[in-house]
This record gives sequence, structure tokens and C-alpha cells, in this order.
Amino acid sequence: MLTYVGRRILAVVPVLFGVTLAVFSMLFLVPGDPVKIMLAEFVTTPEQIAQMRAQLHLDEPVLKQYGRFVTNALRGDLGVSIRSRRPVAAEITENIGSTGQLALASMLVAIGLGVPLGLLAALGRNSWLDVVAMVVALLGVAMPSFWLGFLLIFVFSLHLGWLPATGGGDLPHLVMPAVALGMIAAAIIARLTRSSMLEVLGQDYVRTARAKGLGRASVIVRHALRNALIPVVTVFGLQFGNLLAGAVIVETVFSRPGLGRLIVGGILAKDFPLVQGTVLFVAAAYVLINVVVDVAYAYVDPRIRIG
Amino acid sequence: MRPVQSWKWLTLVLVALATVAPGGLPIRPAAAQGGGTLVVGLDQEPPTLDPHASPSAVTYQVIASVAENLLYRGSDGKLVPWLAESWTVARDGRSVTFKLRRDVKFHDGTPFNADAVKFNFDRIVDPKFKAGGSRAALGSYAASKVLDEFTVQVLFETPYAPFLNSVASGVLSIVSPKAVRESGDAVHTRPVGTGPFMMKDYVAKDHATMVRFPGYARKAPWSDRTGPALLETVVWKFIPEPGTRVTTLESGETQGIYLVPAQSLPRLEKDASVRVEKLPWPGVPRIWLLNTTKPPFDDVRVRRAVNFAVDKDAFLATVYRGTGLKAFAPLTAVMLDDPALRQAYPFDPEKAKALLGEAGWAPGGDGIRAKAGQRLEIVLNAIEYGGGADPTAPLIQSSLRDVGVDVKIKAQARPPWSEDNYRCATHGPVMFLRSIDPDGLWSLFHSSQVGANFNWSCVKNAKLDGLLADGRREADPAKRRAIYLAVEKLALDEALTVPLVDELAVWAFRAPVQGVKYNFNAYPVLSDATIRR
Repeated sequence: MLTYVGRRILAVVPVLFGVTLAVFSMLFLVPGDPVKIMLAEFVTTPEQIAQMRAQLHLDEPVLKQYGRFVTNALRGDLGVSIRSRRPVAAEITENIGSTGQLALASMLVAIGLGVPLGLLAALGRNSWLDVVAMVVALLGVAMPSFWLGFLLIFVFSLHLGWLPATGGGDLPHLVMPAVALGMIAAAIIARLTRSSMLEVLGQDYVRTARAKGLGRASVIVRHALRNALIPVVTVFGLQFGNLLAGAVIVETVFSRPGLGRLIVGGILAKDFPLVQGTVLFVAAAYVLINVVVDVAYAYVDPRIRIG
Repeated sequence: MRPVQSWKWLTLVLVALATVAPGGLPIRPAAAQGGGTLVVGLDQEPPTLDPHASPSAVTYQVIASVAENLLYRGSDGKLVPWLAESWTVARDGRSVTFKLRRDVKFHDGTPFNADAVKFNFDRIVDPKFKAGGSRAALGSYAASKVLDEFTVQVLFETPYAPFLNSVASGVLSIVSPKAVRESGDAVHTRPVGTGPFMMKDYVAKDHATMVRFPGYARKAPWSDRTGPALLETVVWKFIPEPGTRVTTLESGETQGIYLVPAQSLPRLEKDASVRVEKLPWPGVPRIWLLNTTKPPFDDVRVRRAVNFAVDKDAFLATVYRGTGLKAFAPLTAVMLDDPALRQAYPFDPEKAKALLGEAGWAPGGDGIRAKAGQRLEIVLNAIEYGGGADPTAPLIQSSLRDVGVDVKIKAQARPPWSEDNYRCATHGPVMFLRSIDPDGLWSLFHSSQVGANFNWSCVKNAKLDGLLADGRREADPAKRRAIYLAVEKLALDEALTVPLVDELAVWAFRAPVQGVKYNFNAYPVLSDATIRR
């Protein structure tokens, strides 16, 4: 198991290297002089432009710049935001909580909705229950999160007045964004759980469990579901990336603070250090979460770490 | 597989899971908080609330009642005393002397005086300080001289007439020197001024809160009432998504919003529980700057033809729907209005066709005009906002097609868009500019601003340069008006631009919210605002 974990972690290194390279080259791929673009909103003197160029070390050879970028990033120094003039790392720390909360809550929605829905569909295969569950799943995948977000606001804020449409913080502010964001993942997990469950239910060990005289619930939950969920774990990790991407939209629709809005604001303001730092952070988080998922996968399915 | 008997409990679990979250929470959005708190939704978050550092209008929307200025300019455009009791412009135009009020204290208890004014202006020009719009507003500022505790003289290298309007604008509002020196990063979220409200807290990407300053014992220049603000608290919520913003107003989660999207405006205007307020923006309207150096726009007849051919009423009816007025000149009507400007280019496609014919562009086979085998093609530089190019671009395209001009829209992100403009690479962009002094036209038309600022018409005209320089020197308001009228007439005669739409700042409030007033910048001042129960 340890070797497996070690190998997985080692495999991360080249990926992260590629990420830093991609993020770093952003600055050079944009047409025009990056400093002029960054300062376009401000009235600047040539001295200030020169000072900015020096501050960003743009006057040095590219390789040296890249080296500095990577070593600084390793020490947690992601530069200083142009617009807010605060360290990018501080901006990220300030917003990570809110996005983490949202990601976690929407994952709960995804699992809490997706697994039971898929399970019901599998157990009642070809019944009305199956049809209803899969139509719900289809709608969930087909509905863009911003559209679902508006629908939720329309119903629960405007007409029923149950939930606030905007802001961050406590549970009431979290419910609608989490549902809007978790719906697509819920739908995917539902479909996956269904097909995986159908496959498992046909296996010999399930028949054996039944033959032993175990109760129906026990067979389904302890024997079938546990095995059926293995592929779901992998998708969970991949979906996490989608959740981060979706957070950009959902946080804007619901005016929630968070990394998504930080990135959008940074892009609109041409705040290169902020965008670079945040994208780098999100990419690293995504990679690390997938390592954790891989390890968890190995834990639930011994065949992985042995093979 | 056999039918499952135990699906019932599973259904229960599912139903429980699906409903536990949205249902049953005893929370309602902050319903009409009559008396105390006004919640206003803004379309964006300010990059900073430091008036001297900000490049963005939203900063001044928030702090218009927090930090005060030496002079005040109301929506009537007249300059009146504020923190200064009186002012005198030197005969050579190179200095202005302000007599200051003696009864003013900053929110942190420190006194307001001539030293504070000097500190503020010196701060803006300090090379170590990254100034926003404030630096340009100080023009050729040289120094401030403290003549006595309550008299300060502001000196300029060269006569700088726009200063009086700038000094009444948010960018030159006065903040506490002590707070600037001592508050570190908080200077960006808690500016300390002298106004009827003071900043209380700031939650990034969520809201900013300001509360009544109980020590405000004066009469604000927009008010006929002496004493502190009527509202206890104002919360500014940052709600970037327009649909969400409108919904919060309708549900009562906010009692006011800024930037009502055009598609929601008719609905809100019909809603008796909502009041819509529209303010003209000072500055340059949404305008197409015609690149006078790129053929065929090097021919003034073609540029004039384009002016006659664009159907502005179609813009207002299809895109703006009540959030804009027809523009006639390079300055919005609230800056300078004159019948001569309004009559310059009526919508007249026939005249446009005649002018194009006169310039040698004859009707071609495919409906597009041609000259010496070359089609009449124009490249319009348009910002791609993500949801599509600037909405005026396709309207220009269809208007000009009717007279035989083929407009290609070069839709691109802002950075390459700007780059093309500086290099005079296309037939010009559509842009707008917020400016409280007609001197804003300097950046549009002065020859020194080609490739450096907004002179994207790429025009170098000695007569224009002369007039713009005169406008900077001339202190007399009537004479200044005449100068800028001449600038505008010349710009129209030369057809340097196609003025499209005077956009309006559109605010909406729930009906019980009363007494919101606006300064000349179209920013709300809130000390007289109340919420009727």
C-alpha cells in the first residue's frame, strides 16, 4: 500500500510541473505588453511602468523568471495582486473557506441525491421508479447550473421567500448554491450507481449472500452497494474539478464570496498575478484531491494496489 | 432481478435527503427594515474604497456620503461650498486659494484643516503612491501652500481650469491623514472621511457597511436639513449577476439596486412597489471613434456619410430600451447641450448614399459599394465581453449595410482591442468615457494622445489642439463653454466620431425608500434618505 501511495505522489510532480509552466506562460501568451495591459485602468508615469516591470521581474531572462516563480510558489509566495495590492496568497486564504464549504455541501448534495436515486433505479429496474429516477438524472445533467440557480432563486427567494438569494456565510445562504452546483454531479453519480449496481446484483457473491439467508436490506447495503460504489469514488474525484469550474458560475449567480469570483474578478481586471496564483492553487488542489481519491480507491478495492 | 419490497424505506431516505436541505428553514430574507437599514445591490465590488487609489466608479458610488470634498457639484452642475467656505482663482490661473470650514472633524476625531488638504493632494502625486483617477484630476499640480490653519493655496505648473470641477469630484475627496498613515491595508476598505456616514465593516465579495456619523452637525450641500443622516445603516451588497440583482429587489432582500438591466427595466417600471431613477452620466457618450488615418475614413465625406447612415433610434429601441438617450456630440448632453449639435447629423440614409457617391463609391453588384474594383469595407473594433461583442456593433453593421458599406466586426478581448486602438489598426472602436469636465475631450482629440491615450480617431489637428489648450487655461465658465462648443462643432464637422448613445445610470428603489439624491457624477448621496414603514 505504501509503495502505491508513494508512486501516486511521485506521479504528481510532472503534472504540477506542467501546471506551473502553463500558468507561467499565460503572461507571455497575451498579445501586447503585459505591464501596459495590467495598468490600463490607471494613469501611470513611465517610472511607475518601469517600477512595475521590475517588481514583476519582467526585465530578467525568462528562465530566471520561471525559476523565481516556481521557488516563490513553493514557499507559498504567489505574488501581489495588482488591483487590491494584497498578497495573492492572502486573497486565496480569505476565499478558500467559502468555496470549500460550497464544494463540500454540493458534494453532499451529489452523493445524497445521486446514490439513492441510482440505487432506487437499479432496484426497480424498468419500473416507473427507474424511469422517474433516470429522467431526473437526465434533467440534472442537461440543466446548466446557472439556469438551475435562477430557477431556485425564482422559486425559493422571490415566490416563497424562504431563502436569501445572495451572500455567503451560514446554512440558509449555502442551500441553493449547493443544490445548483451539485445537481450535475448528482445526476452523473445516479446513472453510474445504477449501472454499477445492476452489474453487481448479478454477481455470485450477492446470490451467496441471499442464500445465506441475509435480509434484503443487508444484502443490498453491505454486499452489493459497497462494491457498486467503487467506480463512483473515481468519478467523485473527477467531478471535484467540475465543481470548482462550476463554482465560478454559481458564486457569481448567488453573489457568494469564493475562489471562483476571485478568478473572474482577476480576469476582468487583468490582474495577472492574482489569476496566475489562483489558477495555480486550484490546479494543485485538483491534482492533490485526485491523489487522495486514488488512495481511497486503493483502500476500498484491494485489486488496485496489488495490480 | 425480482421486484424489491424494501424500496419503501429507500424512498423515504431519498425523500428525506432531497428535502432536508431546502425545506423547513426558518429564514426569511431581511424583510423591509423600515427606519434603520437600507440594503443596496451594486453590480460590482470596488477594487478599493481609497478615493485616491481607485480607478473605478463603483468606489465613489459607495463613499459619496463618507468622504467629502472642498466643493460640491449637484445634479444642476453648479459648484457650491462644502469643506471649503469660499475659493478664489488667481488671475494667472495657476493657483486656487480655499478658505476652509473651521468646524469639521474626521470620523477618527482628528481636525480637518489646511494641513489635511495639503497631505491629501501631496499623497496623490507622490511617485511611491499608485494613484487611480485622482492623478489625472490634479493635472499640472505643483504644490499646496498652507497659508494659515484654515487657508490653503493649491498651485499648478501651468493654468489648469478643470481643477475646480475635479476638486468637487470623488477622486479628490479628503480623507483623514492620521488614518492614511496608521491604518495600513485598512485604507482600502475603511476610508476615514468627514461625511454623514462612516465605513463600518467590509466583507470581500459580499458587502460593505456604513453607519451614520453621529457627530455630523452641518448642513450637507444637497440637503436643507442640518444634522446627522436619517438612516442608521447602509449596506452595499455586491451582486454581479444582473438577474439575481433584480430578484433581490423584487423579493425585498435589497431595497435598492444599481444598474438595472435593459431587459428588466420595462417590468420594474410597471411595478408600483418599485421606483426607477435615471441619471445622465457626465462624460463622453457611447461613441464610435472613426480612425481618420485609415482609408476610406481619411475622406471626410465617407465619415460624414457614416454619421448620416447610423440609425440611433434603432439602438435605443432594441438594445437600450429606456436606459439611454440619443447622443449627438462627443460630450453627453448633461455636459454641454446646444441646438447646433443636435442638428448636425439627423438619420438620413439618402444623404449618406449621396455623400458616398460623391466620394467615388458607386453601388456594386452585391449591394456593397465599390471604387476602382475595391469593395467598401470597414473594420469595426469591438470588445468581446464573453456573451458576445459590444451590442452596438451589429447595429452599426446593419445600418451601414443599408447604404452599401460592408462592416466587418473584429470582436476581441479587451487587451488586444486596446492594442489595436493604440496602433490605429482598425477603422476605430466603440467606447465611452466618464469625465466631469469637458477637458475629458483632451484625451480623445489632442494630437499628443495618439498612441498614448484615447485618441483612437488618430486625429492630429492644430486647431483642435489650440482649442483644447485654451479650455485648460480659461477659468471663466461662459468662455469655457464657448470653447468646448467650438471643439464639439469642429469634431462634428470633421466627423471624427459617430456619437451613439448617452447612457443613463439606472437605479431602482423600493417605493418606501425616499430622499435619495445624486451628485453631478450621478452617484447617490444618502444623508436625507429614509425608509417609510
